[in-house]
Amino acid sequence: MQNTGKEWDPKILAFLCNWCSYAGADLAGISRMQYPPNVRVVRVPCSGRVNPYFIIKALQRGWDGVLVSGCHPGDCHYISGNLVARRRFTVLKDLLEYLGIEPGRVNFSWVSAAEGEKFAKVVTDVVKGVKALGPANRLVKR
Amino acid sequence: MKWKVIEKSELPVLIGELTKEYEVFAPVKEKGMVSFERISSGNQAYLNFRNTKKPLKEVFFPQTETLFTYKTGEKDVEVVESRAVKGERVVLGVRPCDAKSFVLLDRFFSSGEYKDVYYLEKRKNTTMVGLACNHPMSTCFCTSLGGSPFGKEGMDLLLQNINDKYLIETATEKGEELIKKFPWLKDAEKADIERAKKLSEDAEKAVKSKVSVKDISEKLDKMFDDSFWDQIYQKCLGCGICTFLCPTCYCFDILDEETEEGKRVRIWDSCQFPCFTLQGSGYNPRPSGKERMRQRIMHKFNYGVKNYGENFCVGCGRCVQECPVNLDIREVIGAINQKGG
Amino acid sequence: MGNIENSIREVAEKLLSEKKVDLIIGYEQGTLPLRTTPCFVDKAEDVKKLVWNPSCDANLSKYVLGRKGKVGVVAKGCDARLIAVCAIENQFPRENVVIIGIPCLGVIDRKKLEAKLGDKEILEAMVEDEQIKVKGERFELALPKKDFLCDSCLTCKHRNPPIYDVFVGEKVPENTEANEFAEVSDLEAKSPEERWKHFKEELSKCIRCYACRNVCPLCYCKMCFVDQTMPAWFGKTNDLSDTMIYHIVRTFHVAGRCVDCGACSRACPMDINLRELMKKTEKIMKERYGYEAGVSLEKVPPLGEFKMDDPQEFIK
Repeated sequence: MQNTGKEWDPKILAFLCNWCSYAGADLAGISRMQYPPNVRVVRVPCSGRVNPYFIIKALQRGWDGVLVSGCHPGDCHYISGNLVARRRFTVLKDLLEYLGIEPGRVNFSWVSAAEGEKFAKVVTDVVKGVKALGPANRLVKR
Repeated sequence: MKWKVIEKSELPVLIGELTKEYEVFAPVKEKGMVSFERISSGNQAYLNFRNTKKPLKEVFFPQTETLFTYKTGEKDVEVVESRAVKGERVVLGVRPCDAKSFVLLDRFFSSGEYKDVYYLEKRKNTTMVGLACNHPMSTCFCTSLGGSPFGKEGMDLLLQNINDKYLIETATEKGEELIKKFPWLKDAEKADIERAKKLSEDAEKAVKSKVSVKDISEKLDKMFDDSFWDQIYQKCLGCGICTFLCPTCYCFDILDEETEEGKRVRIWDSCQFPCFTLQGSGYNPRPSGKERMRQRIMHKFNYGVKNYGENFCVGCGRCVQECPVNLDIREVIGAINQKGG
Repeated sequence: MGNIENSIREVAEKLLSEKKVDLIIGYEQGTLPLRTTPCFVDKAEDVKKLVWNPSCDANLSKYVLGRKGKVGVVAKGCDARLIAVCAIENQFPRENVVIIGIPCLGVIDRKKLEAKLGDKEILEAMVEDEQIKVKGERFELALPKKDFLCDSCLTCKHRNPPIYDVFVGEKVPENTEANEFAEVSDLEAKSPEERWKHFKEELSKCIRCYACRNVCPLCYCKMCFVDQTMPAWFGKTNDLSDTMIYHIVRTFHVAGRCVDCGACSRACPMDINLRELMKKTEKIMKERYGYEAGVSLEKVPPLGEFKMDDPQEFIK
């Protein structure tokens, strides 16, 4: 995550579940909605696939922010993947913030396949929040 | 010219002068723990300690050491060695047990066809200034392993605390070279030397903990398959405390890491860790704590003797103090002696 | 104390001679003052080795794992709770373990004593009623025991094991007053920058000896995440980032299962206050999911289940 001399622009890693959030992001694109280009997407089958290691590794590798997005509870393609994930994320987020990782670096959302506008809004909010925090430097391994 | 004295109040001045020319490592007390750190002024050295938690080996054999870095280019890989040993070093305040451990570690790191330059270069560039033990601890058993509280093995100079002064005894030419840089040091008087001798005798008597390692290697030769090992290991947790805090343990692992450039690092490893002997096939010749405990004891008191001529233990007592379950190596030696007859 | 010690020996002897267990795991006298060491007794005549005193700080539930046959374990409140957690997690059949429950009023924290005495070494020690009497070279002191108990014991709400097969001695009054999360709340009140600075300082002392992991009965994975290769998730050097992550992940792995026995902090040779991290997960579980580990054999730890109405105020 090198600063090439230009003003720093945050890089956000987003894990989007294939059935809902990824489709929602796709809809945002097709609808030509404008949102900040700072997000790099990793498609996962379900938000439940997201291992806390992924989030922690991202922070270690210098990603300025992480977003995990899945189906709304009750709508998971695999019935309960997002419900399992929800508890995991609750504990992980509380723990990381307790340790001193700034609130706003690690974000979670429920975005359905029809919510292109919501996706754009979530990304805008996340990028705004991370921009205010500055480049990630807490868990980064040099 | 073998004995000099320095007032206790003057020692920080001497250390301060050393820091101008050498990289000086000395015991430093921080938040209740004493450990060897690089110091930049004489006042930072703390010499009122029993022994440091971590052994001195980390100054020569760091827990994490980069062996080289590499950059991948278009057609080739550029390797940059990182063996820079910047300057001459002085380590001050080494206890005799830790100093002796270097005599043993030197044998290991210089054995075989490939000498370990990372360790050896640091050793070559370092003058060891020891600090004799006036008050051995109840867990010290250096005298049973060929050491002594006022021993000079592995040292270039030995500081001896004789109440209001330190007696400085030279043990090697390197030590004499260092002392020559301080011509203002006074010669020791006969009374000082006598006092040190008495303190040395008292200290040796004060080492009450004794073990017998006579013929232990031969006894262990016959015990490899003994049922003795089934009992001994049971409470061991398999952590790395005894090996990491042991001044003579030297096992390491080598890893390659990549962030923006690649680097090959070596890190301390422990024979007590389950993956220590895990092979690529998935087979592990030391599958349980029993084999791993046996390995540790055999290495210290049998393989060490066979390969390097001496038991690989200096009796510092750190493993005894820090083991979370009080697995006492002195008890293990006693049990071996009982079993071995 | 003496009564409980004798009762433990009686119970152990009975269990062994009646062949209800193949092995008794308890404590015996250690080789240093104020230390006991785990003891494995398989013959009825050896029960006289078993002791009980405020130095019985090892977590014996660790030794139940991976064993075949029936075992009897001397268990304080925290130890018994951990046996319950491991039983719920199917690490061994519950009926293979006979929990010999002991009421415990706290174990001594040797690190607090060392901090008080500095370079002075304790050569002899005795715990008499509410005092710890220590003797060394040229000093003799009587110290109030309550000032040198482990922090985890000071706020312990389960002095009597909530799950047991045999109870030895009389139940002791529980400490219902203490605020067990006071330390955590203090840290929570600080800014993220202050917390980060604090944890960075504490965890930079770590030498990656894994004593914290190995002493914990909940860390029973055959291959710990830190030893995994292909992929190697996090490094094994003592680089600060890797070290902090090791502790974060281990804390996450014990979340909802940890009972704050304090063994990890006691085992750490570098005196890192690991409990500060572990305790936070206990608070999260209590506040978010109303869960307390190891007090019931029916309830599954929070990360092992889910509910439709789980809290999600932080999810956009």
